[in-house]
Amino acid sequence: MQDYEVEFVERGDREARFLVRGITPAFANGIRRAMIADVPTFSIDQLRVVENSSVMFDEQIGLRLGLVPLTTPEGEFEIGDEVTLALDVEGPSREETTETVTAYSGDIVSSDELVRPADDNIPIIDLKAGQRLEVEADAVLDHGREHAKHQGGVAVGYRHLQQVEVVGDKGEFADDEPHILRGVIEDDGELIATDEFDNDLTERYPDKELAVEDVPNAFVFHVETDGSMTVEDLVVRAVDSLRDRADELRESVQL
Amino acid sequence: MSYKCSRCKRDVELDEYGGVRCPYCGHRVLLKERSRDIKDVDVR
Repeated sequence: MQDYEVEFVERGDREARFLVRGITPAFANGIRRAMIADVPTFSIDQLRVVENSSVMFDEQIGLRLGLVPLTTPEGEFEIGDEVTLALDVEGPSREETTETVTAYSGDIVSSDELVRPADDNIPIIDLKAGQRLEVEADAVLDHGREHAKHQGGVAVGYRHLQQVEVVGDKGEFADDEPHILRGVIEDDGELIATDEFDNDLTERYPDKELAVEDVPNAFVFHVETDGSMTVEDLVVRAVDSLRDRADELRESVQL
Repeated sequence: MSYKCSRCKRDVELDEYGGVRCPYCGHRVLLKERSRDIKDVDVR
């Protein structure tokens, strides 16, 4: 199998930017689509409403709970596996108060410590005095192609790597307009994110005549996850899913 | 069917001859009580 050159420009748990050299546009798009649709995550799929005296309908609360990202460890579960979660929050105990109690995703209790809300501060609903929300929910492991709530990658995209070359000086009477470019540029082999100079090349190369070109077969991916897994996990699982499907295809066409 | 009077907050049982009116205070706004059954909701 061919090796690809991968270089990180920014690297965080939930957001990263990395350069991949030596891949075709079709393969880059394949990776992007796999990150969105082929990496399974847990999401609430069934709700049992024991009590809901809040101002929202059961279905509205269900939709909000379905969009809470749940941590999805690799290799521990299979597609269709279920984990039970519960939420029980009550409004303020004093009857006369106008204050509210907010039910947050952090109030959700899970039956499996591996699957829990990725963020604790997602508001579900405000409860007034006398109101109560008690629900039980089943989270199911499924793919993003089945429902968007199962997408692990929330902002996944890529751009060509841009090569910037100084070809000369600007004329004395040349227009002094900004030259906006977004993404990552390569300058003498060095990778620079364009937001370092406000996405304006004239900030970095004042009074210079520039030639900007796409670097063939070099793509800069910008990946953000919903917290159900790290960016690294998401990318590796996406590429694994592509490999599995390619293997499956190869086996099925062999007579 | 069980209702609650929105003025006197008392439980009201309606029959087909009595009309929509609280038998205790005569108020005509009655709130339907939520069933105590556990409700299944598909999150889709």
